[in-house]
Amino acid sequence: MAKHNKDSLKTLSFITYFIILFVFWFILSGYLKTLLLFFGVISVLFVFWMSYRAKALEEDSLPLKIILRLPFYWIWLFKEIFKSGITTTVLIWNGKYSPQLITVKASQKNRTGIANYANAITLTPGTVTIEVDKKIFLVHALSKKLSEDLQTDDMNKVITDLDK
Amino acid sequence: MSYNYIELITLILLAIGCFFILSGSLGLIKLPDVFSRIHAAGLIDTLGSGFIVLALIIYSGFSLLSLKLMLIPIFLIFTSPVTGHAIALFAHESGYKPKGKNKK
Repeated sequence: MAKHNKDSLKTLSFITYFIILFVFWFILSGYLKTLLLFFGVISVLFVFWMSYRAKALEEDSLPLKIILRLPFYWIWLFKEIFKSGITTTVLIWNGKYSPQLITVKASQKNRTGIANYANAITLTPGTVTIEVDKKIFLVHALSKKLSEDLQTDDMNKVITDLDK
Repeated sequence: MSYNYIELITLILLAIGCFFILSGSLGLIKLPDVFSRIHAAGLIDTLGSGFIVLALIIYSGFSLLSLKLMLIPIFLIFTSPVTGHAIALFAHESGYKPKGKNKK
């Protein structure tokens, strides 16, 4: 039963990946003629086959569960980027920066979650992940306030909850 | 009349984006070491390009073109942390110490 469930989940993720690829092709081309749509399907199938061969379609790299939560997460991430972006801009203009190194602990379970967290830290201006050592990040922050924001662990919790 | 409103919003958003790019460029010159300068570059990558593309989307109206424009920040969001991380890791591995007080 469990195996059957896993298989159907895999099929569903294949279908989702196919649809995402085709929508991407359509956005970039914008053609609606039957012949060109057919060529589009062929090129999408080719990319699909290549990513299947490269084993890029494992469950870890295409987590279906989080796809519905991603838009909310992105909105939250944009808000965070905006907030720390303004802090960084003020720091640059008034020159009161005090760069420091801190270590942050990640609580995500799989590799995608850890990569996601490290990327989110780097994306918010003012903090950069320098080194990832299993579950401990070495982070460079531009000021004390920015590093304290990171150490409140809010971002870690949000990204861990994304994968529940 | 509504056309003018769209132009006004576009102008404001472009000005905000340009301001962030100016601050980022200033930071690139002003900040003390490699690690701090990556922050300034990140400011340009995320907020600067984001606001300018948002302004272009509003100006061009909502069509297939605006979907294509939306792909630009999406790709930047996936690639810019990687480059920033690569530069930071290389500087760290070659023994470059960040300036300022370090509590490690």
